[in-house]
Amino acid sequence: MKTIFILFPFLLLLTSCEVQGDLTRDNEQFVSIPKDIAVLKYSGSFVPTSGINAAGMAKIYIENSQYKLELSNFSVTNGPDLKVYLSKSNAPTDFVNLGNLTSSTVYLIPQNVDVSTYKFVLIHCQQYNHLFAIAELTNN
Amino acid sequence: MKKILLTTGIVLTTAFTFGQGCSDAGICSIGHGFQSTDKELKNTIEVASIFGAGESDVTYFSPYVSYSRKINDKIALSVKVTFSSANGDFGTRAAFGDAFLIGNYSFAANNNKQWSALLGWKLPFTSSNLKINEHSLPLIYQSSLGTFDLFLGTNYKYNKLDFNVAVQIPVFNNNKNSYFKEYAGTNDFPSTNLFERKPDALFRATYTVNTKNQKFTFKPNVLFIYHLGEDSFENIYGKRENIIGSDGLTINGNLISTYKLSKQKSIELSIAAPFVIRDIRPDGLTRSFVLGLQYNYSF
Repeated sequence: MKTIFILFPFLLLLTSCEVQGDLTRDNEQFVSIPKDIAVLKYSGSFVPTSGINAAGMAKIYIENSQYKLELSNFSVTNGPDLKVYLSKSNAPTDFVNLGNLTSSTVYLIPQNVDVSTYKFVLIHCQQYNHLFAIAELTNN
Repeated sequence: MKKILLTTGIVLTTAFTFGQGCSDAGICSIGHGFQSTDKELKNTIEVASIFGAGESDVTYFSPYVSYSRKINDKIALSVKVTFSSANGDFGTRAAFGDAFLIGNYSFAANNNKQWSALLGWKLPFTSSNLKINEHSLPLIYQSSLGTFDLFLGTNYKYNKLDFNVAVQIPVFNNNKNSYFKEYAGTNDFPSTNLFERKPDALFRATYTVNTKNQKFTFKPNVLFIYHLGEDSFENIYGKRENIIGSDGLTINGNLISTYKLSKQKSIELSIAAPFVIRDIRPDGLTRSFVLGLQYNYSF
């Protein structure tokens, strides 16, 4: 009996370790900005919030009527579940969620978004609702 | 030595034969909470492995371990811990799922009729936002739905028939899923960013057949689950949106076959499949076929 008590948890631990395999499909489409065609419309420098380190710029280009956001020379303190928001204010209240902050640096902005009404790019931790960095956009 | 070999064999075989996982909302296996242990044996340990096939070629492997303790003739308590691994086009993701705490109260039997009541609680081990290489995954790949759920149920036993009625109510939502189909490159799964789930109501009817030598028990049962409302998610504009067609009825058929190895030990094989499904199941509970193998040890 004692053996079984010891064996069960041991085997459970042995066989039930957390596994994160490799991504086996293109979860998010790779997007690039051909600088010879695209026109820079808006840009702004990132300012970190309290206790966070962040640097770099947000740049919005237009290419064949498609807006794209580029994070240029960007770095930020590691955080869980960081998202890139195009926002109407410097707080995450009225925004377009452009997806996860990943090693990819270019984000497609949905076609039906009136980019001129969004004046900020935010880096926001959705899971813990904590703002990491703010870039105020100006016209170029 | 024999005990060690048997235990090791079952756990390892079931663990490595399949992948792992599935977001079991819990209510599907709630009927087990009504089953008290043998009158002389007050404790039961169950080790089970469940293999399931879901939508878009996703397969699951979900082992669990459960301990039940009969406090007295009327009250039994059990605790269960699940693990889940999902494998599909996005890759493989595995993690601990949920812990279940279930209490069961049996009223006095009268002329082969008996009522019992169940109260339970589900605690998630994740916030349903497991990722692969920082890419968000749909709920079908998550080991838990991230909700703290309350279970309330009752069972009426009459001769060889059992009838269960239960509800599963998400009391506190900690689902932080961040999957958007817009950014996933596939329409196979609906967006479930910051998913909110509605309660379920369950009705199950079970008929029990014992062979003459009492070695085999067969329990064919039919399980009706009604999802009481449309689930919702926060879209890319930060607005909450209902998922049309996520409410409604699921009907499952299930056969549980048990072989008694001895007075203390038994092995159970469970096969289940749905006959009627909801129009859309964003919670990832999309198994088209489930096969479970369980080892029970009472002492």
